Amino acid sequence: MHVEVTTPTQQQQRTFIQMRTVLKVVDNSGAKKVMCIQALKGKKGARLGDTIVASVKEAHPNGKVKKGKVVYGVVVRAAMQRGRCDGSEVKFDDNAVVLVDKQGQPIGTRVFGPVPHELRKKKHVKILTLAEHIA
Amino acid sequence: MAVSTILSITGTGAGIPFTGEFRPLGLFESKFYERPRKPYGSSCMNGHHFAHHKCIWRIPSNRNLNSKSKDSSLVLAIGKENVSKDTDDMYDELFNKYGKVVFRRKDQKPQIAVELANVASQVKAADIKVLFVKPLVYWTRFFIITTAFSRPQIDAIGSKIRDLAEKKYGRVPSGDTKPNSWTLLDFGDVVVHIFLPQQRAFYNLEEFYANATPIELPFENQPPFRG
Repeated sequence: MHVEVTTPTQQQQRTFIQMRTVLKVVDNSGAKKVMCIQALKGKKGARLGDTIVASVKEAHPNGKVKKGKVVYGVVVRAAMQRGRCDGSEVKFDDNAVVLVDKQGQPIGTRVFGPVPHELRKKKHVKILTLAEHIA
Repeated sequence: MAVSTILSITGTGAGIPFTGEFRPLGLFESKFYERPRKPYGSSCMNGHHFAHHKCIWRIPSNRNLNSKSKDSSLVLAIGKENVSKDTDDMYDELFNKYGKVVFRRKDQKPQIAVELANVASQVKAADIKVLFVKPLVYWTRFFIITTAFSRPQIDAIGSKIRDLAEKKYGRVPSGDTKPNSWTLLDFGDVVVHIFLPQQRAFYNLEEFYANATPIELPFENQPPFRG
């Protein structure tokens, strides 16, 4: 995808993570793909840093979570841009999620790929400590 | 290799050496050139190399970015024709020249971290470790990792640490309010992790941050397991 810095009408506008959105799982909890069934906050959908309820669609054979399980997740990468307080925006190439339990504890022990530090403001510092790279 | 001029949009002027951690972001675009998308080999902070297929896009604003926040500085390579391969070398050059993270020597004085660790040991927390993680992790300076044996004890450690930090340093933590098997208190440059023994073994943060220099504590450490 060859992207130029132009006006928004000429670029593809990405939008929120909502019901039926398939996301990649980037921790070692055992799941590979989940499908969002509910965005917990926001009327239009979830963004970077929000929590979602999801159903596991694809999983590793011996993992902690199995296919069909309903889990909570924190969105760590989103294709939709998110504004930062200095005026810049961050967006990633894919939608990725880290599975957590109801209390917010990560189910896996390591997080792969970059994570933005919007998570710090959203009180997901645990995911930041387990991440290998912070964008 | 062609000489590259490195322009930093922090607006602080040319006299200051490049501060802040230089994270290879993969491909990022700027106003001056467009680059075709390519798999980009970059090195992460711990010196490992990982192939990073995904692009991370940062669209900077025209306004003066605050130079204090390291993550908002954007580096442009101007005057290079073949950008995609040379940028690798440019990064390596910078790494060798300036080191992974530039920080001042007096950052090493861990007064607040040792104080908080002291408080934890008063409540009989076990196996307290203070790690200086600034070279690995730019968003904080110290990690304090400690084990508690029961939920009420986690609560007690948490509240004592909160009180001391508030009274002495005036810092309010942003962290969990309910005690959890892994309770985290985030004081900005110091992050306190309080684990139950099985969680500590499960998450194994010491292994993950094995490259961090540990800081000696002036009191004796309790043995990790009791009874």
